[in-house]
Amino acid sequence: MIILERKTEKLNKYKRITNEFFSANDFLPTSLLSLYQWQEIKKQGIKKNFQLAIEINSDESSESIKDSLKKFSMIQLNFKTFKDGRPFTLVKELRIEHKFKGEIRASGHILPDQYVFLLRCGFDTVEIKKEDKEIWIELLNLDNGLYYQP
Amino acid sequence: MTKKLKGDFFLLSANELQSGKVVFYTKKGWLPNSNKAIKIHRDDLSKYDDIFKKDEEKCIIISAKFVELDESGKIKTLRDKIRDSGLTIKIK
Amino acid sequence: MYKYSNIDKKIIADRTKQFQNQVERRLNGKLTEEEFKPLRLMNGLYLQLHAYMLRVAIPYGELSSTQLRKLAFIADKFDRGYGHFTTRQNIQFNWPKLPEVPEILDQLSEVEMHAIQTSGNCIRNISSDHLAGLTAEEVEDPRPWCEIIRKWSTFHPEFSFLPRKFKIAVTGCLEDRTALLVHDIGLRLIKKNNVIGFEVFVGGGQGRTPHIAKMIRSFLSKKDLLNYLEAILTTYNQLGRRDNIYKARIKILVNELGVQKFKSLVEKNFVKFSNEKLKLDKNTINDIFNFFKLPKLKYSSNKLPISKNKKFNEWKQQNTLPHKISGYSIVLISLKPPGKPPGDADSRQMQELANISDDFSFGEIRVTHEQNLVLPHVNNTQIYQLWQQLDILKLATPNIGLISDTICCPGMDYCALATARSIPISQKIGNNFKKYFDQKSIGDIKIKISGCINACGHHHVGNIGILGLDRNGEEFYQITLGGSAKEDAAIGQIIGPSFSEKKLISAIRRIIKTYRKNKKNASEDFLSVFRRIGIEAFKKDLYDNTRKKN
Ligand code: SF4
Repeated sequence: MIILERKTEKLNKYKRITNEFFSANDFLPTSLLSLYQWQEIKKQGIKKNFQLAIEINSDESSESIKDSLKKFSMIQLNFKTFKDGRPFTLVKELRIEHKFKGEIRASGHILPDQYVFLLRCGFDTVEIKKEDKEIWIELLNLDNGLYYQP
Repeated sequence: MTKKLKGDFFLLSANELQSGKVVFYTKKGWLPNSNKAIKIHRDDLSKYDDIFKKDEEKCIIISAKFVELDESGKIKTLRDKIRDSGLTIKIK
Repeated sequence: MYKYSNIDKKIIADRTKQFQNQVERRLNGKLTEEEFKPLRLMNGLYLQLHAYMLRVAIPYGELSSTQLRKLAFIADKFDRGYGHFTTRQNIQFNWPKLPEVPEILDQLSEVEMHAIQTSGNCIRNISSDHLAGLTAEEVEDPRPWCEIIRKWSTFHPEFSFLPRKFKIAVTGCLEDRTALLVHDIGLRLIKKNNVIGFEVFVGGGQGRTPHIAKMIRSFLSKKDLLNYLEAILTTYNQLGRRDNIYKARIKILVNELGVQKFKSLVEKNFVKFSNEKLKLDKNTINDIFNFFKLPKLKYSSNKLPISKNKKFNEWKQQNTLPHKISGYSIVLISLKPPGKPPGDADSRQMQELANISDDFSFGEIRVTHEQNLVLPHVNNTQIYQLWQQLDILKLATPNIGLISDTICCPGMDYCALATARSIPISQKIGNNFKKYFDQKSIGDIKIKISGCINACGHHHVGNIGILGLDRNGEEFYQITLGGSAKEDAAIGQIIGPSFSEKKLISAIRRIIKTYRKNKKNASEDFLSVFRRIGIEAFKKDLYDNTRKKN
């Protein structure tokens, strides 16, 4: 998988924490947590003085992170299926309602045909297969910046 | 796909990817009418599963399905009959 | 009529290019059918029983003669010489081939048409009153508002992957000809304290669980229209159910939450996300309104001509309405001649009608949600001549609003989802009530026929609704009575056990008989009688007799 920021491939500095019994020592500023892991940390009251990244699936409720957005440098919204359009609204909530300034990334089952929509809604980056890079860029190139919406 | 099917004999049918036309699986491949279609016993269905999946992958057909036959060997449901023989109404 | 700006043109052209790319990727296997399907649906392309079907948008039902000519051309070149006008004021072609669809879209874009968002889980074509701008009682022309909404909803980045499809209708009249209250959102222009704004209804729909829309705003100011629509869609996209396709429409959400709760969520989102840039200022609104001015019509005292020709008189009585400019009439063209599939027009009819509209109606044609066509501004002095030409084309059937003017979906003859055929039923009704005199004596009545519970034929809101079912492989038809799609919208009630195809027509005849027997005076229509005497009276007559006969 690669990370694409508009037309440029970007280094993925985040890594999932896969240890089942994670402890405070496992977390680095480059850790990508699942929603479950984040909730556990909160429960255990582990305090970290650096930011993390979190992944939220399109069918998960994001309510529990909304009061701790400052803790995140990156939020990854993972599409279970490209037909599940909830992240398109969630990203609006994060940006407009919660003024989240960090990176928001789309991952999971997404199509290059959705690229322009993703960017316009407030995503910064997408996680895609390496071999699909060309088609993602090709479809972005078709975009000429003319839209009906502001 | 085969689990829900009742009946003993079936034809394999699909729509052509390009034209959308109804086709049936025959010894000579996918053809438009059901006369030449291979009559498939329910025990052999899984073999034909592989055939249509391959042809779906090869972008020849889409929407494949088994068409149930009645005791006399004719297509059973009205829907499948209409798929086979076309509109029941005059259009002009 | 609205004319595309350069931006419109570019956006549509790009989309065609994009779809071309998608078709290529599909044909060479880079897209699987599962991935391609939602993309083709967003471009109006379905797979039906026998072939693909392309649904072309006719925004708010308005066509120019040039556009109609192009539709005729497409019917001939890429299809089998005909098209089908739908209950959402669109047109469907039944036999296109996948590799040719991009070319069809190219052809359409030449006349400022497209198939965008005529399918898929997005905001669909906006529908409107086919008499928009033509009647005196109208508060304001709804078409400019439809156009404003069309733009905003086209390729909306946030609302293109909704839980389910989303339909919006706009009307400018109290008298509703849009089936407003069975739309996901219904907007009605009203005047309060001399200011024009919108009443907002939400959560109407048909299908498996029909609902009449509920009002969530009794007055919405014009400038806030788009922000308010965004707030509704935001709420729906956040909370609409995605676990069960049958529960995914907004009507279910509204009902599960309750209308008060839903309304409060919408109002919150309205405050949270209101975007200055979406506010509509007077200039923007005026610019759009300028496209929808009436053509130059001259007031006169010319009345409709008096003739000895019986056929003409019947047609004149049934298929014309007064225009708000005196001296002109609105002409309704029935696409329900006896024995033909309702809503179908062949390429010659389309071609000739395009010419006729140039000669008689300023090149303008409208499509009604009842699957008929309208010539909006015909000079009364030319009516007879017009009728003669329509008659030659078999487009002068005098049955608008009568029993043979059925709404009917394609049913099992075309549709992959159908449980029974619907067109043959409509044809039988047409053949059974052929004579104008008979039909006139029955009066205004709406029969609506769907080939399955999806209700594209609006059976729930038919005065008589007919729903095709599959009972152990045999076609059966359930009858509902008392539905209405008008301002007094109501869902019909099931009268009782369903009927085989053979017995259906005599059942309809018996229902009509009960109506005739009970009507108080010549002008009391079917729905009024039904509302007065209730379903039991009909039930008793219908099933008692059936049993005796069996
Ligand atoms: S009501 Fe059913 S049969 Fe008729 S067009 Fe809709 S889906 Fe098809």
